[in-house]
Amino acid sequence: MNNNSAKAGFIRILVTMLLSLGIGALFIVGIGENPIDAYVALFKGAFNGKLRLGTTLAGFTPLLLSSVAFAVAAKAGAFNVGLEGQIFLGGIAAAYIGINWTFLPKPILFVACFAGAAVVGAIWGFIPAALKAYYNVSEVCTTILMNTVALYITSYLVSGPMSAGTANAQSHPVTVTLHQFMKPSSANLGIVIAIILVLLVIFMLYKTTWGYKIRTVGTNPDHADFVGINSKKVFIGSMMLSGALCGIAGCIEVLGVHGYFLNNFATGLGSNGMLAALIVKNNVVATPFMAFFLAVLKAGAMGMQQSTGVPKALVDTITAVFIIIATMETLIQFKEKAKKKAETEKKEG
Amino acid sequence: MSEYVVSMSNIVKTFGTVQAVRHGEFNLKKGEIHSLIGENGAGKSTMMKLLYGMYPINSGEIIVKGKKMDRLDPKTAIEHGIGMVHQEFMLVEELTVLENIILGFEPTKGLTIDFDSARKEVQKYIDQYDMEVQLDKKISQISVGEAQRVEIIKTLMRGADVIILDEPTAVLTPQEARRLFEILKNLREDGKSLVFISHKLDEVMEISNRISVMRQGQYMGTVNKEETSPLDLTKRMIGREVFLNIDKSYGKAGKTVLEVKDVWVSSNKETSKIRGMSLHVNEGEIVGIAGIDGNGQSELIEAITGIRKVEKGSVILNGKDITNFNPKKVRDAGLAHIPEDRNKRGLNRTMSIVDNLVAVQLDEAPFSKGMMVQKADQDKYAEEKVKQFDIRPTDYNLPTSALSGGNAQKVVVAREVSMGKPLLIASQPTRGVDVGAIEIIRNTLEKAKKEGAGVLLVSAELEEIISLSDRIVVIHEGKITGELMASEANENNLGLLMMGGKESK
Repeated sequence: MNNNSAKAGFIRILVTMLLSLGIGALFIVGIGENPIDAYVALFKGAFNGKLRLGTTLAGFTPLLLSSVAFAVAAKAGAFNVGLEGQIFLGGIAAAYIGINWTFLPKPILFVACFAGAAVVGAIWGFIPAALKAYYNVSEVCTTILMNTVALYITSYLVSGPMSAGTANAQSHPVTVTLHQFMKPSSANLGIVIAIILVLLVIFMLYKTTWGYKIRTVGTNPDHADFVGINSKKVFIGSMMLSGALCGIAGCIEVLGVHGYFLNNFATGLGSNGMLAALIVKNNVVATPFMAFFLAVLKAGAMGMQQSTGVPKALVDTITAVFIIIATMETLIQFKEKAKKKAETEKKEG
Repeated sequence: MSEYVVSMSNIVKTFGTVQAVRHGEFNLKKGEIHSLIGENGAGKSTMMKLLYGMYPINSGEIIVKGKKMDRLDPKTAIEHGIGMVHQEFMLVEELTVLENIILGFEPTKGLTIDFDSARKEVQKYIDQYDMEVQLDKKISQISVGEAQRVEIIKTLMRGADVIILDEPTAVLTPQEARRLFEILKNLREDGKSLVFISHKLDEVMEISNRISVMRQGQYMGTVNKEETSPLDLTKRMIGREVFLNIDKSYGKAGKTVLEVKDVWVSSNKETSKIRGMSLHVNEGEIVGIAGIDGNGQSELIEAITGIRKVEKGSVILNGKDITNFNPKKVRDAGLAHIPEDRNKRGLNRTMSIVDNLVAVQLDEAPFSKGMMVQKADQDKYAEEKVKQFDIRPTDYNLPTSALSGGNAQKVVVAREVSMGKPLLIASQPTRGVDVGAIEIIRNTLEKAKKEGAGVLLVSAELEEIISLSDRIVVIHEGKITGELMASEANENNLGLLMMGGKESK
């Protein structure tokens, strides 16, 4: 909100990025490779050529949605670990509608797929939120458990009732797909939809009364109830929005990337999205950039492994270092505060 | 020196920026019951937690049995014979009484716990002090009073001869309290030294040898029971200098705005903390509620405003029954509310001054249109209010956490009073604020009354109640003990009613 603090936030993220890449370079030197070559290969792997750039963008799309989904829930004070389950169920809902509701004209079928995915995702967000709001059941526990439930529901469906009968567990192809604009990569129009949705969410959080209420509930629920904002309803609402965004991410994966529901397709999407949001402390403006950085690392890792001797696991190391530095950085802030306090005390005393 | 088993002097303790104890003094003789009294937040529990080593002191000196304690933690405190019975019991619900008592230092026989010798040992204390407990029941099956006795036995088993009891009677029924007193007297006979923390004066007068008073983190002196009276103690607990006078209007009170009919309310700790209260507030008058902090004021206000559940009885606002409405609906029916704790409920400290000013009316024009926030109109409003209430700093986009106590409270007052609601409840409106802010806030209340609002004022400062109110209702232990016109009220007759209306025995 505050311009200065937003600026400082971005500089902090940039410095953290460079630092973690620097420490990653030390590791590369440690295994006897040239870090500059490795990083060039990494970025080439992510950006060089239609296929690679497209793959990066395709990987970025679900991460963008899931990271912002996590941040939105966090703004209302919820810790939504259930992103992955919501993505899976959104995906299966979109697949079901896309395969079976062929009586609908195509444009409406599109909308129906997205709406169905959003609704199912929202319901999967509603359950833990309501349990938390009315029975004080930790949403962290329930969402983790519900991820497994969601995974097995979809696994069952694509191995049984919805199976295409292939060796891989997957559904029949859907009858509507999102246009892939960078063939042979799977980058698709879903990215446009995702970006528009994220912009809408940011707008909602800072320009509407609903956003105001979410932020109030997330920072002081007692105050919210006191001034007449129903904190329980707002909490549940933001979790449902979070779930709906994830459901849509699942829908884009099914309609845009695969063209059918592939068993286990979303594994890791939830935790990476969570990571991106947590590193920037749920700042919704910074979250998309962080999601993009992570997407680039993941996408470029394979290219780096193929053209240099650096294993792609290095990317995980860099991510881990990133997290460590991001947390340490709060330590640095804390020290600064303590210093300031000591100074003012000196002045007063 | 050797007269005291415990002596604490020049104690200072701060939590962040809050000075919980500004200047604490306390000493304990062998074989006495020494009460430590004061209002909520006066620092009495903190003092004893310092003695038990739960927090380190910032400065000062603690001497236990002639030995200066440099670094005190609960373990060394226990080694020096100090035991504490906390307000919240520290018991394992699913273990039996006996298991709870020996937990942490179980007597062993080879590799197994020697329950027989443990039982014998515990039985010794039970017989000696006449403490009836059922050793084989689980904690979840016994009463609160019995659980408290278990806590006392726990301290004795660990060798305590100095026992601190933090508001032990708050959770007890009168009958159980009576039994507790018998036990405490038995312990005293046996040479144990006891610290009794309370704000219930009749109990303190019954059980103590000596009484120490604290007020706002300050030690206010120690007296022998024989030399004092409840009235004297009340004055020591709440007495404050008069430093402001409001030019008070005597308007004509109009029709009834708020009516509370025979309301019963639970507190967090006890059921039926408020037992059958009835009062009313008319248009154009200020009704003050006087009482020692912790006698049900907070619960009454929370019940009226929809934050706490009403057990029975009814609350009528502007002719509408609002009993057990949610806070939003109560506000819609005509309530404005300055809460007692501005940092918990009154403000959202991470959000800006303007955000806080519009919080209640966010959904109304001109602050929003449909879903859209109208920032320009909010800013205009904030600018006006900042000027009107002299809120500093004047940059209304700063978070309220940057404000001093007085300015933060002005934000709350500005928000609540500006709506012109028929009922204004002001709970401790000037607690912890500077003199300048006090003046602005009091004049604002006076103005609200002149404009026809009914004002219900709760304050721990008797002087504030007397100088602002038209009518004063006095409460004691959840009941109304008297009602008088402000013109006939003074510290003596109010003080008497605040103790339940009886002169000391």
